[in-house]
Amino acid sequence: MRIPALLALMTVLLTSCHESERAISVTETRELTLFDLKYQANIKDLPPLEWRRIPGTENRALNYVTGPDDSVEIFMGVFGGGVLPNANRWLGQFGLDPATGLDSFTKIEILGKDGYIVEASGDLEASMGNEGAKDQGLLGFVRQSGEETITLKMVGSAIDVAAQKEAFLAYVSSLEFIDTHILETP
Amino acid sequence: MSQLKKERTIGQKIFRVLAGFEIAVVCFALLLLLTFFGTIEQSWIGLYQAIEKYFDIDSFLVVPRNASDKIIFFPLPGAYWVIVVLSINMFLGGIVRMRKGWRTAGVLVSHFAILFMLIAGAVSSVLKKEGMMMIYQGEKSDFAQSYHDSDIEIFAYDENGDRTQPVVISSDHLNPLQENDILSVDLPDLPFDLQLTGYLSASTMALAKNQPDLAKENRVIDGFFIHEVERSTTQEENLPGCYVTIQKEGAPVQELLLCNLNPHPISFVVDGTRYGIQMTRKIWPMPFEVELHKTVGEYYPGTRKASWFQSDVTKVTDGSREDYAIVMNEPMRHGGFTLYQARWDAPQGRPFSGFAIVNNPSDKWPEYALYVSAIALGFHFVFMLVRYSSGGGRKPKTPAS
Repeated sequence: MRIPALLALMTVLLTSCHESERAISVTETRELTLFDLKYQANIKDLPPLEWRRIPGTENRALNYVTGPDDSVEIFMGVFGGGVLPNANRWLGQFGLDPATGLDSFTKIEILGKDGYIVEASGDLEASMGNEGAKDQGLLGFVRQSGEETITLKMVGSAIDVAAQKEAFLAYVSSLEFIDTHILETP
Repeated sequence: MSQLKKERTIGQKIFRVLAGFEIAVVCFALLLLLTFFGTIEQSWIGLYQAIEKYFDIDSFLVVPRNASDKIIFFPLPGAYWVIVVLSINMFLGGIVRMRKGWRTAGVLVSHFAILFMLIAGAVSSVLKKEGMMMIYQGEKSDFAQSYHDSDIEIFAYDENGDRTQPVVISSDHLNPLQENDILSVDLPDLPFDLQLTGYLSASTMALAKNQPDLAKENRVIDGFFIHEVERSTTQEENLPGCYVTIQKEGAPVQELLLCNLNPHPISFVVDGTRYGIQMTRKIWPMPFEVELHKTVGEYYPGTRKASWFQSDVTKVTDGSREDYAIVMNEPMRHGGFTLYQARWDAPQGRPFSGFAIVNNPSDKWPEYALYVSAIALGFHFVFMLVRYSSGGGRKPKTPAS
């Protein structure tokens, strides 16, 4: 009787799903290196506590969420296309008429150069795999960087985006280029 | 003169077995089989996995399998432990039991040198560290990263947005995990703990909106999910991922998704402090900084495989600067570190060098052992030749009584 019982027990043990629960305590640390001073697109930022960074994508070098249920998205991209075309692309997503010149936008200093604040609200049209939505808001900047354009865009419900405006502008002023790992040119 | 044949004690019998040729023959036969099956199996499981399976210190029993995972031979003992037995056998048979004198001095020393070589292999297997330092031309670095192992690092951001010293959950804890395992991580130096689930050793991360059908079968966090991918035979290409729950006094604070594919940290807030967390190839700080001033190379015709490369670098240590030209097979050395160029490429006209860095306390031991062994055997052959030439090697015939 014992042997069949033992065999049955072993069969159950060997065929059951592998699942284990372990607990460890970790105090190991690592000294800081240049790895810790490398930033996406060499841009260091200081986001508000309410913003939470999530994984980036091909088009989102920096990617944050905030607001109710993380419904407001803030993301930075580096693209071609120039300042005005990018700003007008955003306006077009809200069905607004394109601007004819950069004078239509508020100019501020961003990362040591002129950047332009773009604001829009209304019904967001579906684009790039995103569903459209009503009563949405947009706040962002577009800045030329060599042959490329740096953009930072905040989208969400118009009320939530408006509530984040001050935090957004403070965040923009915190941005700085960091190139600790780059050698000084003699 | 009559002499009574003494009975051997149990200890002597055991010594006779341990020091005997029989064990040496079995060990060599096993090593032949292990090398044979390991070489075959690495063609479908990859070099790294094959070395882990056949030669690692943790590998006590090896079951050779074919590409369909079917057993193709009897279980064999792990090569590491076969070599341990062989070393003991060689020590007892080739050194302890051997007659000591001028006639055997050379052989004795060469046995000792071979034993030393085996010990060097064991030390290397346990203590050797290696990684890759990638630097673009015009940049510098002071760290290397593991080829295969990924850690989870958690750190606080200070008031300026700078990272503070990270706490590291080592790959030693992560590598044994399987998808259904739960790992609770107590972090005594931080005001929260972690729980890791759904660990995948070969994974990729995807946007749920891009793959809605696959997303339904997986946990979606912040619009992303991870799913298992077929293991690559090149271990460097296998990227782990897992789900993390930040817990404060047992209650969940934040659910996060980590994947080695994401090269930058994600963040969360606990007690008014912002923390970053990321899964990254194990970072290995170096005691020196390498500045890459110029790197040049050539590809094999019609390929993107480098056929030749050279890097002009400056090694900076505590303010002192030394210039080096690192060419293939001509490494830079610093203390116990050897740095040699293993990669070169110039994607989009931006050249970079990949320096393989090895720190192995027994790096030079096999070389020394080889010199000692060669000298000892040379001495032995010359000694025997002289002895033979002078007639000392032939025993005079004993006259019949």
